[in-house]
Amino acid sequence: MAESDRVWEVFRQESEGDPMIHGGSVRAPDEELAMHYAREFYGRRQESHRLWVVPREAITELDDPDLLQPPFDRSFKKPGGYIIKHKLEAAKARAASEKGE
Amino acid sequence: MSELDAVPRQALAELLLTVADDEFVIGFWDSEWTGIAPMLEEDVAMSSISQDEIGHARALYELLAGLTDTDADAIAFGRPAADFRHAALLNHARTDWAFTVARRYLYETADAVRLAALARSSYAPLSELVTKMRREESYHLLHMDAWLRRLAAAAHDRLASALERAWPDAQAIFTPPAGEAALLEAAILPDPFAALHERWLGQLRPVFAELDLPIVSAAVPSDGRTRRTDDFAWLHGEFTSVAGSEAGATW
Repeated sequence: MAESDRVWEVFRQESEGDPMIHGGSVRAPDEELAMHYAREFYGRRQESHRLWVVPREAITELDDPDLLQPPFDRSFKKPGGYIIKHKLEAAKARAASEKGE
Repeated sequence: MSELDAVPRQALAELLLTVADDEFVIGFWDSEWTGIAPMLEEDVAMSSISQDEIGHARALYELLAGLTDTDADAIAFGRPAADFRHAALLNHARTDWAFTVARRYLYETADAVRLAALARSSYAPLSELVTKMRREESYHLLHMDAWLRRLAAAAHDRLASALERAWPDAQAIFTPPAGEAALLEAAILPDPFAALHERWLGQLRPVFAELDLPIVSAAVPSDGRTRRTDDFAWLHGEFTSVAGSEAGATW
């Protein structure tokens, strides 16, 4: 059964509102059996609230190091260096005093 | 209905035994696919479905044990092969994948009709348990329907001959338990098995016509739940071997 070599990526959500996290993959000839097998592999022990089953070929992959790991210093694009601790404390104090009024 | 008179109580015990033994025996047969199913994914699916069936059997045996003052393990593992009450369909060995799909499709569809009726039973402990069982059985049925359709397209003749072989003994799922009249009178069983049989055939006909699969004419056999075979005697020896190795032991 050559079509059974189709690979489906399975994403799981543990509770409503949680992010969908990649769980792994199953092989199945079509979407219907892929759903059944995803349920068996990633849901039969009641460990999942929701599954997404995606054919691997539908995924667009980006792994070009020139785009993802460019060689120049990028530290100025990172949010580090901003100290928000004092701003946060001030905001909390303001919120508390508004509540107290 | 909390207290049952002796007659419906005995009939209910017979009914529970037939459903439980069906689930128990098909669960054991199809668990034999563990490790050798056609694809790894199907291996896990079939093993998981078989475990579900044995779980259903356990719940039914426990309900029965409460009625008859014994325990579920004694009912499951302490009876001789001749005392089992599963349908003759489940007397056959596992055989090949086409036969497994054919048998299981016939079983799941028949079981769905039976459970839909028992969900309306006047005996609340049974209707509550069956309502829970149906939530798992609906997936079993979906899965076997998926396989029936794929084999009908990819291996039509092999599937058709497996269905022809399984068909006569599949009718035995509707062989009524002893005491059916008392069950009907107490509304423990809302519809007679003859009506359930007709309902099942009515559901199968359009599917089989669509897939060009054979429906052989066959009656419901009166000995459909008492006939046993060498294949089943072998399976019985397998599933009682551990419990029988140390009588009375706590596992």
